[in-house]
Amino acid sequence: MGLLTNLVDHLKAIGTGLKYLIPRRLTLMYPEYVEKLPEGYRGYLRYDNEKCIHCSLCARICPANAIKMYRGGDKKLRPGINYTRCIFCGFCADICPTGALEYTTIQDIAYEKLEDQVYPPEKFAKGVPQPVYPEKPIFIIAKVDEERGLKYDRV
Amino acid sequence: MYDLINYLWETGLNLLFSPEIFEPLVFPGLIAAFSLLIVVIWLERKIAAIIQMRYGPYYISRHTEGALQLVADLLRFLFSEVIIPKSVDKIAYVLAPIILFAFTFLPIVVIPVSKDFAAIDHEYSLLIALALMTLYSSFLLIVSWASNNKFSFIGGLREGFLSLSYEIPLIISALSAAVLFDSFNLIEIVEKQAAMGWGIFYNPLAAIVFLVVIIYSTSRYPYEIAEAESEIVIGPFTEYTGILFGLGMGISYIKLYSMSLLYAVLFLGGWEPVVWPLNLHPVLPGIILFIKAFIIVAFSVFLRAVYPRYRIDQALRIAWWKLFTLAFLSLLFSYGIKIIEVMG
Ligand code: SF4
Ligand code: SF4
Repeated sequence: MGLLTNLVDHLKAIGTGLKYLIPRRLTLMYPEYVEKLPEGYRGYLRYDNEKCIHCSLCARICPANAIKMYRGGDKKLRPGINYTRCIFCGFCADICPTGALEYTTIQDIAYEKLEDQVYPPEKFAKGVPQPVYPEKPIFIIAKVDEERGLKYDRV
Repeated sequence: MYDLINYLWETGLNLLFSPEIFEPLVFPGLIAAFSLLIVVIWLERKIAAIIQMRYGPYYISRHTEGALQLVADLLRFLFSEVIIPKSVDKIAYVLAPIILFAFTFLPIVVIPVSKDFAAIDHEYSLLIALALMTLYSSFLLIVSWASNNKFSFIGGLREGFLSLSYEIPLIISALSAAVLFDSFNLIEIVEKQAAMGWGIFYNPLAAIVFLVVIIYSTSRYPYEIAEAESEIVIGPFTEYTGILFGLGMGISYIKLYSMSLLYAVLFLGGWEPVVWPLNLHPVLPGIILFIKAFIIVAFSVFLRAVYPRYRIDQALRIAWWKLFTLAFLSLLFSYGIKIIEVMG
């Protein structure tokens, strides 16, 4: 008897496998297809030198110690960031009283050297690095689907 | 002069198409097996990827969904350095995988392609094929012993345990087909099936046991125990590099192929039915045999995405309790059918 239920279980397992043989891929072909991220995504940080009031709150709140205050020629403190440490929690942008730090939706940047990921204030103020794609990617948005879990739509 | 060239050409062609050369070399031997190897390993990765909602091999040839991946892998194996560690038994280390690969091929030679096309048409060809198949594990043990590595050794030990347990059900379930068709000759077995119907319908028990043993003995999931990547690296082939490792990777697939051919002959009616364009040349019915074997191979590699791995004690228990008993029952079943036939 046990043998028979065993056999039925095996057949069920194989049936489940067969059911999934129809391709319904969840992964993305990344450099060809790139996901457009929603507003409020915590990606790379944008720093506005004009708005900064040199309060150092961002460096204090940072849980990963990624922000370091540099003293400039005018004796004022300005934040620089080390992206090898940053965990993209967004605390610094949240605490910044003037909105000098903001998060962007950019996340896919590759570096050749570790040192390139350290941004002193001057470099930090120059703007957010832009991702480089081998060819023009197709942008898609991910949507939650009742049946599948995730679905991708073209922008 | 012209006559001589003509003569040489004709005898050469005849020699190539004689079963003794054609079978081991072209079909179903070396060339067919290699093409199958390339397709099947790609298929295995692709099926697993699709079931797990991934892409699998893709970038090597985008338009064919990465079908050339294995060609690329093979080239890489060919050109990467073969490192022979200091602590190994050198002669055994180098020779064992090569001999193992050759011996894994041997059973294919015994398997007939059609009624009039067999390299070895022997009264006991089924027994010859079975005997040649059992050489596999002894050479795998040599491979694992020669490597002088604990993972290889554990892998070899596991293979030893497993081979002791699967060989008896394998042979008994094959013999119950022989009992059923009253012959040890593979050609005769297929001829009988053409007259009576496929063996799988007469003795489904033996067919199931044989199928499980195929999966069991060729390290397919859920019995991928001797090579268990997540536990003992790659078992007996841990110390191997370059083309020797490539051989090691291919061996279980070649064994799978030869056993599937035997399965198709014993239980799926071999090269029958021989319909119109296939009766033009004695080698053509082999296409049907190949398709049947390919379906078995594809099913076996598909299981990778369905099952996790058994522990060795679970696998041994399955072999000694279930497969062993079922194999004996299938033998009795065959005798029962024979008795009914004689009485009726
Ligand atoms: S995002 Fe978080 S970890 Fe990164 S710099 Fe801001 S506070 Fe630090
Ligand atoms: S918290 Fe904002 S304003 Fe204060 S130092 Fe940091 S960036 Fe400047």
